[in-house]
Amino acid sequence: MPPAAVKTTLLLLLPALLAVGAFLLLPLGFILFESVYLEGRGFTLYMYFSYLSDPKFHTIFLRTLKFGLIVTGVSAILCYPASYAISRTDQHRKSLLMSIVILPLMTSPVARTYAWMVILGRFGLINQTLKSAGLIAEPLRLLYTEGAVIVGLLQLFLPLMVLNLVSAMENISPELEEAAQSLGANRWVTFFRVVIPLSADGLVMGSVLVFTGSITAYVTPAILGGTKILTLATLLQQEAVVFMNWGGATVIAVVMTVLTILLYLGVRTLRPRIA
Amino acid sequence: MKTSRFYLAVLVVLYLFLLGPFLLIFIASFGSEPIMTFPPKGFSLRWFAKVFTVRMFLDAFITSLWIGLASTLSALVLGIPAAYALVRYSFPSRSLLEVLFASPAVIPGLVLGFSLLRFFVLIGNFPIVLGLYVGHTVILLPYTVRVVSASLRNLDPSIEEAAVSLGAPPVRSFFLVVLPNIRAGVMAAFILAFITSFNNVPISLFLTGPGIAALPIQMLIYMEYYFDPTIAALSSLLIVITVLIVQGAERGLGISQYV
Repeated sequence: MPPAAVKTTLLLLLPALLAVGAFLLLPLGFILFESVYLEGRGFTLYMYFSYLSDPKFHTIFLRTLKFGLIVTGVSAILCYPASYAISRTDQHRKSLLMSIVILPLMTSPVARTYAWMVILGRFGLINQTLKSAGLIAEPLRLLYTEGAVIVGLLQLFLPLMVLNLVSAMENISPELEEAAQSLGANRWVTFFRVVIPLSADGLVMGSVLVFTGSITAYVTPAILGGTKILTLATLLQQEAVVFMNWGGATVIAVVMTVLTILLYLGVRTLRPRIA
Repeated sequence: MKTSRFYLAVLVVLYLFLLGPFLLIFIASFGSEPIMTFPPKGFSLRWFAKVFTVRMFLDAFITSLWIGLASTLSALVLGIPAAYALVRYSFPSRSLLEVLFASPAVIPGLVLGFSLLRFFVLIGNFPIVLGLYVGHTVILLPYTVRVVSASLRNLDPSIEEAAVSLGAPPVRSFFLVVLPNIRAGVMAAFILAFITSFNNVPISLFLTGPGIAALPIQMLIYMEYYFDPTIAALSSLLIVITVLIVQGAERGLGISQYV
């Protein structure tokens, strides 16, 4: 590259680089430093040992991972056939279906989650229906349960899975499926032996997005889980805002970030092998 | 035949699950009871009226609007030149830079919001509004860089080469030739980034103070104290506005390819 072009490139990139450096890397580096440095003791992992050995933290950590796994698994199972159907319809219908899929992604997460209070609340759809059918006398407690949080997270993250799967399946030529079928494979065999292996890349990408999204989501566990069903995200908020326990909050923040980055790095090294 | 019926059933389940809650929230917001019930008893528009009379919602709406506009424009001003450099020039560390510009979307927003509060507001004594503005700008950057890059890649470089070979200086050819040709991408980036900012909770959650709260945070605060359908009414309004914007942007710009 000629020196003039080097200069232009740098000038074009510099403002964005400075912004990311100053407003992302610097504050993140600062909390990382704060988590391993104690006044008078120098560099130490004391805060990690003391916070991460707390049984309360263990329960919440494992629960958060469990939510991530369930939401990722269920959305993969539900979205695979749905995405296949979307990717094989005509252009007009596909564009309509996709514009509906992205709608929840563009809607306020508070509005979206509040809808579940209408369904699961004490005087909500399910309780009122069961009551008028005479099946229950007292309203069931459906809110502030693990199930409520999982259902809310599912609705939040299904669209991400659909987007990734559809874009992977669009690249599978229908001729490949026809070839499999003319060689004697039925539709199911074709789906499992042709479509699934060829769309594995979309599945992996979608799964990472759904999993990391689920374990770091705040609004859904805050509204549907409350203080009863804490996750890492709501615990972080509670430690920081309610208890002013900056050390504990910082440790959770670092754990969440490391977990997310490891997953992304894992996928980046894994992906070329799939594709 | 049997399989296509199976696919249809899965599609119906998926779309019911995605859209059903929106429909219910819409119906619930017309109830007349002071506690949200479903099915609603009676019919009234009072909760919609209340949305516009509660001072804190109006203030929060205006805060979110300004933060959204300012950070979206800033993310475009930072992101368009960066996207141009990434697409037009090839240099050794390009893929590293692409990762760096995507990173604000990868790092958990809650963590970023928390560290902005610690570093800038509590220790650096930044005003909260400034923290909100820089936080939103940095999380919107991945969207503007990605969407503008995509539309630059679709642009035939020979158009620009023609302008330069006819004597236009690079800056002029950028503003007169490149920018007008990627305006659909820039528009899509603007809409996507603004909606992202307007709906953001994780960054805004920690950057809240006396008199300053983004609209979604104000809604969360209200929900802790009141159980009336005001939030349902406000949510319905937000959903209707989003549907109109997304449908318009999908028809005009094909926005779903950029999400």
